[in-house]
Amino acid sequence: MSGPAPATPVQAARDAARAHRLREPAPYLRLLLVMAFLLVPVALPSFQATDLALKIALFATLAASYDVLLGYTGIVSFGHAMFFGFGAYAVALALGKLGAPTYGHLLLGFAAGIGVSAAVALAVGAFSLRVKALFFAMITLAFAEFALILAVQWSQLTGGEDGLSPKLPGVLAAGSGAGRVLGVAVTGRLLTYYLVLAVCLGLWVLMRRFVESPLGRTLQAIRDNELRAEALGLRTFVFQMAATTFGSVVATVLGGCYALWVGYVNPESVLGIPIMLDVLLMVVIGGIGTLDGGIVGAAVLLTARTLLPDLRVVGALLGGSEILQRLTERWLLYFGILFILVVFFFPKGILGTLRETLRRRRAPGV
Amino acid sequence: MRRAAPLLVVAALGLLPLALIEFPAWVTLTIAGLAMGMLVFLVAAGLTLIFGLMDVLNFAHGALFSWGAYVGAGVLLLLDRHWGWAQSPSVGLNALLLLLAIVAAALAALAIGVVLERVIVRPVYGRHLFQILITLGATIVLEELIRIAWGPNDQVVPVPLAFQGSWDLADVIVLRFPVVAIVLGLAVYLGMLAVLTRTRVGLIVRAGVENGEMVQAMGHDLHRYFTGVFAAGSALAALGGLMWAVFSQSVRPTMGAEQLIFAFVVVIIGGLGSVTGSLVGALLVGLSYNYVAFLLPKAAIGVTMALMVVVLLVRPTGLFGAGK
Repeated sequence: MSGPAPATPVQAARDAARAHRLREPAPYLRLLLVMAFLLVPVALPSFQATDLALKIALFATLAASYDVLLGYTGIVSFGHAMFFGFGAYAVALALGKLGAPTYGHLLLGFAAGIGVSAAVALAVGAFSLRVKALFFAMITLAFAEFALILAVQWSQLTGGEDGLSPKLPGVLAAGSGAGRVLGVAVTGRLLTYYLVLAVCLGLWVLMRRFVESPLGRTLQAIRDNELRAEALGLRTFVFQMAATTFGSVVATVLGGCYALWVGYVNPESVLGIPIMLDVLLMVVIGGIGTLDGGIVGAAVLLTARTLLPDLRVVGALLGGSEILQRLTERWLLYFGILFILVVFFFPKGILGTLRETLRRRRAPGV
Repeated sequence: MRRAAPLLVVAALGLLPLALIEFPAWVTLTIAGLAMGMLVFLVAAGLTLIFGLMDVLNFAHGALFSWGAYVGAGVLLLLDRHWGWAQSPSVGLNALLLLLAIVAAALAALAIGVVLERVIVRPVYGRHLFQILITLGATIVLEELIRIAWGPNDQVVPVPLAFQGSWDLADVIVLRFPVVAIVLGLAVYLGMLAVLTRTRVGLIVRAGVENGEMVQAMGHDLHRYFTGVFAAGSALAALGGLMWAVFSQSVRPTMGAEQLIFAFVVVIIGGLGSVTGSLVGALLVGLSYNYVAFLLPKAAIGVTMALMVVVLLVRPTGLFGAGK
């Protein structure tokens, strides 16, 4: 390797990564994955398959945005689902309450959601991160519960428990059909699929850039040794605020996309603690601090959730015992146990452990 | 005077709504608020000691609350179904029934607490992120086990006859069970204070909260004390769960997770590591919640949050926090 010496350590690390980028399996796997997501609605035009594929894409991106906080900044937030919900509600409200839906309303919804989320994230961070990062976990949990109750009770605006069912504007509307291209019927649903997928991809690239930027490196330094980072003169509090705000805004955009795709928003489905737990499970099972682990986690969890209700049939075969039947129904129990085992024995999750094994095999004795 | 100041604040907050609410309703609300505060205190006290002593933020505390509620309610149901103790007019038998339920709930939680601490929490000491994750995983498992053992739906809890209804003094209605809860909560608080300030174990625990490394350097096995504190905190959470179950006359698997949020708010308001702070915080939350729920029903949860935000703005480490 020749050429001028890189200006910063970040630049050096980036150059080193770039030098043997094409010899790693990762870029090819990523390309393959994107191709697969692009092909799903064409190759498997069943509702269930496309729905599952897009939800995996959405939640994988959501899990990755949570990983920016959990894995790269070392902050536990329980408000991530709340920001997701803000986005979903902002888009649903903008499309539903301002008259006939237009593209302008759609953009307005996203902008409003992002604005509210950024403001709330900054406020919550200002209250809690200054004292102790641990406070953040408790305070975000309290805020998330507050947001959930607010969404249920403020029913003139949010529709309460019944939620909102926004209609989509223009070509995205459910009824729109723009003829056929290469033998595939182009419907509003198909276009929404590709729109949401494109947003997810864009966010994914953005998050990659974020964690590998000098700011992202600083965050990792703070995560690894906060005292030392502070001693180096870094204002850790400001950096942590930046990370939480960034992650929250990404979650907000995804929430808006979720509202577009599902076409229905209610407190339980976008704001609830169960969503938060799902995202946490996805990140930890996939691999903390890998970003890409979110895909593995989301794929495992969502596929299991789609298929596991069929286990009830097995439960029915086992006959009479009520406890046995419940044992087959409560699949979250097994995810909980898996979660604990992963945290204990594979703290890097599926993807992190795989990567480490590969690296070790490639460089024996190091 | 300094020590009495927080209690004066609570008293002032309790008297303030008298301007807006008629006296009989105020008495009822105040008693309900104090009772709610005492029940939250039971949960928060364990949480705050566990955190203060070993720097462990135990998210499984809520699940222990639910377990206490279910085990205790199970005892109530069992004894009521077989011998009809809850319907019995004898006050003694009713009290014995409640006592048995409390003992069962506390024992179950003690056992779960010891196992949790030894198996799940001990390997991840000093690593906050993993502590939160692992105790959260334990919460998922414990909650699902409740759903498997007792079913996923709400269940009705029988209230012993002696604790049902109210005493009517002139035109003031005083519900009976909240009074029982207040007395029990006060007894637990005084008991905790006595143990913490009058015994050798309490001395070591308090010293551990202040400076754990120094206590270990003096030759005390802090881990052993910690197992005890963890188990005792679990038992307190279970006691709170059972009392809450009788108070609301129902149990459901997520009840602990819901109360945990209140407990967190209380711990933040009171300051991590302070038992008295937890009591003051819990009473503030309980009272303000009940007054506002009466005056403006929809703003009730908001006032709890507002209280937390105000305290954080004025004193970021909480009212009694050591600021460590």
